[in-house]
Formats: sequence, structure tokens, C-alpha cells
Amino acid sequence: MPDKPHAIVVDHLCKRYGELLAVDDVSFTVKAGEVFAFLGPNGAGKTTTVEIIETIRKPTSGTVTVLEMEVATRKADIVRRIGVLPQGFASFDRLSVRETLRFYARVFGAGKGRRADIDALMDLTDLRPKADAQFKTLSGGLQQRVGIAAALVNDPEVVFLDEPTTGLDPHARREVWEVVKGLKQRGKTIFLTTHYMEEAEILADTVAIISKGRIVAIDSPARLTETHADHLRLTLTSTDAAALGLIQQMGFTATKKADESIHVPIKNANDVRGILAELHNAGLPSPDGLDVRKPNLEEVFLKLTGEPLTAGAGRESGATS
Amino acid sequence: MTPGIIVAILAVRIRSFYRQRSTVFFTIAFPIILVLVFGTIFTKPEHLNFDLPVQDNSRSESSARLIEGLTTDHAFTITPVPVEAEPTHYAREHKLTLLLVIPKDLDALQKQRLALRDTSVFVPLTYIFDPSSTSVNTKIQLLNMMVAAANQQASGSPPMFNLIPTSILSDRYRFIDFFVPGIIAMAIMTSALSNALNMNAELRQKGILRKLATTPITRADWLIASILYQLILSVLSTAAILIVSSLVFDVRLHLSLFPPLLPLIILVEVIAFVGIGMLLTPFAKEAESASAVANAFLFPMMFLSGTFFPVEMMPGFLQSFAKILPLYYVNEALRAAMIFADIAAALRSTGITAAFAAVVFVAGTVKTRWGDEGV
Repeated sequence: MPDKPHAIVVDHLCKRYGELLAVDDVSFTVKAGEVFAFLGPNGAGKTTTVEIIETIRKPTSGTVTVLEMEVATRKADIVRRIGVLPQGFASFDRLSVRETLRFYARVFGAGKGRRADIDALMDLTDLRPKADAQFKTLSGGLQQRVGIAAALVNDPEVVFLDEPTTGLDPHARREVWEVVKGLKQRGKTIFLTTHYMEEAEILADTVAIISKGRIVAIDSPARLTETHADHLRLTLTSTDAAALGLIQQMGFTATKKADESIHVPIKNANDVRGILAELHNAGLPSPDGLDVRKPNLEEVFLKLTGEPLTAGAGRESGATS
Repeated sequence: MTPGIIVAILAVRIRSFYRQRSTVFFTIAFPIILVLVFGTIFTKPEHLNFDLPVQDNSRSESSARLIEGLTTDHAFTITPVPVEAEPTHYAREHKLTLLLVIPKDLDALQKQRLALRDTSVFVPLTYIFDPSSTSVNTKIQLLNMMVAAANQQASGSPPMFNLIPTSILSDRYRFIDFFVPGIIAMAIMTSALSNALNMNAELRQKGILRKLATTPITRADWLIASILYQLILSVLSTAAILIVSSLVFDVRLHLSLFPPLLPLIILVEVIAFVGIGMLLTPFAKEAESASAVANAFLFPMMFLSGTFFPVEMMPGFLQSFAKILPLYYVNEALRAAMIFADIAAALRSTGITAAFAAVVFVAGTVKTRWGDEGV
């Protein structure tokens, strides 16, 4: 997109904490107006990278530009044009939702924090009914929405959402997704950090996967699965106990899961036919359930990083701060 | 530094303050309770009306005169004890700390002494007392004084030695007058230090600082707002202490507003203890440990710096130790200004406090990181 400048350009970024190289030569770009999802296991350097882009931390080497301004030299200008929901957002316990938003609005300058603007923000994040409730009395989902609203008080061009739905129940999570979709429609660039593959698949235009301080893949969710989908996955349920050994003898790396189902990576539909024929020939009953599908992002992630994505949320901040 | 941001931060902190009852209590009510309690305990006996049970076995005109003498200047309030009672038993039974017994033959003995000028004769006035009582000694002393006065009167000649009290102070100076400036200094110190520690711990622990670091708020904004906030609390608390001590104990201290010594001392003290708070923050990462760290620092400071009693009452080495504590100089400055109206002495102690404040505040500012790695 040559007509639209990149919202974020990260170029050979490194961040070192003593002996630990938390971010190791990371480069990527975020296009204006897209939802960019940043995925990585705990301790991969995800939050460190985000916090450098947000101007909270300083890079050891390399450059980062946000809206064509360098983070190292123009922090004061950048913070006025970005909005940040930090990981595990918290605010002053005894301020109401309205007071909290007015505070954040006022620090962005004179004339900000007008009642109408705050009301509009609360409508956008569906916080209006809780306008006068103190922050500490709100549920996790509501607190998170206050954080999103607080990230929008200055009408930012780029919005950073660092694990916006971690710790939320599925319902609250879906509500946050709706807010994010609304922001995208308004043309905001959204930088999303998440543990949830589903979240990235639903929301993101581009997904970057970071592992051990390095970017291992970056593409659209569809292209990522396509590129790395060198196999299909066959799942058989309620089969005879002998089936597993039989399939393994055929040369497949079949595994039995906790729910007794058998997972078999396969190349194509012919393999399915072959396996079913073999089971039939051996005199085993046909399986009750049969499912063939392409691998999802979760499996791509596992393949690329060698680690599952979702384990132990929240450890990362402790390791790097 | 942006005035609008500072005002916004101040508004947040003041709201958070009055919505939290415990901080209101410890900032405003607690120092007042201390003034009331200590003021009541240590108010001078001249304002107390002592109760004196008397068993008058003589029941004569002379005994009536003697008893009347004991009530001079409202020294004692006399309550009669029945003559048939055994005095020691009666005192124990009724939990009396002091009981005076006038002998049956008072009249006869008095006549023998006065008429016959027989100096070997005297009137035995027995008092029964409870040595475990802490206040009984004062009562016994008072009783001795009253009896000495009666003796003097009986001798018929005017007293030869007269004591004339002259205070080193222009006005009356009581314990409570000494105590109130100490409590003002203590209240400001406690509030500045614990608020600085608690707020910093809360900001860090909950990650609020991470959010603030992505707004145009600078460290200077935050520090100036913190000092202004503490100043407002300190002025409120000082005013409350002065009003209550004036209404209840008639304490009349110099307000020291022209030249503005009192505001200057408060400002310097606030900066000093907000600075110490910043320096102690690394030891108080969580809000829970913050109050423990604050107390570990506050209590020795309070007792060794002459808040509750003069430093001169302590052994020599502790006195030397007190002189390295900043609160000692705040106390000295406040007392010099408010009790003695000694501007030079007040300025000297304020200067020492200011030098200390400058050092800890600069050190605290350097050590406290706002953005990078400070989160």
C-alpha cells in the first residue's frame, strides 16, 4: 500500500536485560488501518516489544517508528497519538468510571474530558450504565472495557491492546471483540497482543508470531495456515483399541488423546480411504465419529514455536519487568 | 510540567483520599485523638479538683475550721467518712487512695498547745493511703502543703519565705503547649511518608504506572502534584489540631504566619518526607508491606525526636542520636516558632531540615524511575 504510510515500522530491534537478549533483531511493519495480532508464548519478548513501541521502554539497538516518529526521540508527540491498554489494566480504585475517563482525557490536554465526549466513549464501550460505579466494584470484563475506553480518550490513530481478554469469561471476551471490530471500522490501526488463537483468527488482518525473541512467521491468518498446512488432521472417535496400532503399522504417526480419540496427520483424502479400508479388512468395527480438517492457527503456532500458546498467562510480565 | 495535568492528578488524589475512611481517620482524626488523650492525662493538677474523704472524730468547731482550711482555693473536695468506721478497712472497701483521720481529742490537744505553749504536744493527723496509686503522691504533697499552711497560720506570725514564680516564657507554658507542635510535626510526617509509600506501591503493584507512562504525564507533573496534595492534607490536619487544642485546652500558640514560618516549615517537612518515601519505595513493593516499612521508620522517629516528651529527658547518647533525625529539627523549628516566637531559632532549624529535604528529594527523584524499567 504505497499511498498509505505504515503506522508502525520496527527495524532490527534488540532489547537486552543483562545477559538475556529478550528481543533479538526483530523487524516488521504494521499497515495503517489494519488489526495486527502479535502472538507468542510467555517470555518470548512479546510484551517487551510492545512496550518499546508504546514508548514505555527504551530499545537497546534498532529503530522503531510510530506514525513516522521515532520512539527514542519523540515520546511526547507519540503518546498523544496512540492509545494503550496495558497488560492487566488497573486504575484508581475509588474513582468512578466517568471520573477515571475524565482524568485520562484531561491529561491529554485542555478542552478534553467534556461530558459529551466521555458519554460517547462510554456508549462505545457499553459502560454507560456503570458511569458512577467505582472502579474497584467492577467485574474484570468491565474493568477491561474501562481500560479500552481510557485508551481512546485522545482519539488515537493507533490503539495498543495488550492481552485485552486474558482472564475474561467467553461472554465478556466476545463483548471486547465487538468493541475492537467497531474500532477497526472507524479506521483505527490496532496492535493486538493475545494468547488466544481464536481471537487472532477472528480479528486480525495480519498475525506475527514471536518465539525466543525472534519473529518466526508473519502473514494473514489464512495464508499462515495455508503455508504451514502441509498436512490434514484426521480424528477418529470410539474406535477399537487395536485401531491405534494398526494405523501406526501403516506408517502414520497416530496419537491417542485423553478422550480416547485417535489423531492422525495425513496428506490427503486418499489416506482416509486407506485407513478405513485397513480397519475394515482387519475386521474392526467402523469408527463412530470421523473428522478431517485443515490445521488451525493453534497448530501452526505449535509447529513454529514448539510450544503451546495458552499455558500460564501472565508469567511474562514477571520475567521481563 | 503542565498545570492542567497537575490539577487533574490532584483531583484524583483528593477524591481517592476522602473516599477512603481509614486515610481520613489517620490524617485528621488520629492526631486530634492523641492531643485529646495526652492533653487530658497531662493537664496540670491546679485544674483538678481532688477528692479527700475525712473522718472527723472530733466534730468540734476547730475540726470544722481545719476542714474548711483544706478546701482553700478548691484544693480538696471533702467527703465525710462515718466515725464508727475503721478507717483502713473503710479506705480499702471504698477504693480510696487517701483518707484523712482527725483525732477525737483535737480540741483538747489544740488548747493544751496554744494555752500552755507546750511545744511537746502536737495534733496527730493520720492519713491512710494507697501506695499503688500513681496520683496519690501529688495528693499527699498537696495535703502536706495545706497542713504546713495551717501550722504557719497557727503560729501567728506571717511567713518569712515567699516563692515568686517567674516563667522563662512570656506566657504560661504547659505540657500541652509543648505537645501540640510535636503532634503537628508527627501528623505531617506520618501522612507524607505513608501516602508516598502507599501510592507508589499501588501504582507499581497494580500496573497503573504502566498506563500513566503512555500518557503525556511527566514525572515532574506527578511529583509536584504529590507535594501539593500533601501540602493540602498537612494544612487541613494542622488547622484541625490547632482548632481542637485551642477549644479544648485553651492552647494559644503563635500561628507564625507573618513572617510565614509555619507554612515554610510545613512545606519543608512535606518535601523531606515525600523524598524519604520515594527512597523507601524499593523496600515496599506491595501495598501491604508499604505500611510495615512506613511504621518501622515512623515509630523510632516519633519517640526519639521529641514528639511526646522533650529530648532532654533522654540519656546522652540518645540525645546525640536524635540530632541526626530530621523530625527533631522540625520539632525544634515548630516549637521555636509557635511557642517561643523565636524567628532566628526557627529559621536555623528550618534551614537544617531544608538541607536534608533537598538531599533526600533529589536522591529520591533520581532513584524513582518513571518509564523504562521502572514499571
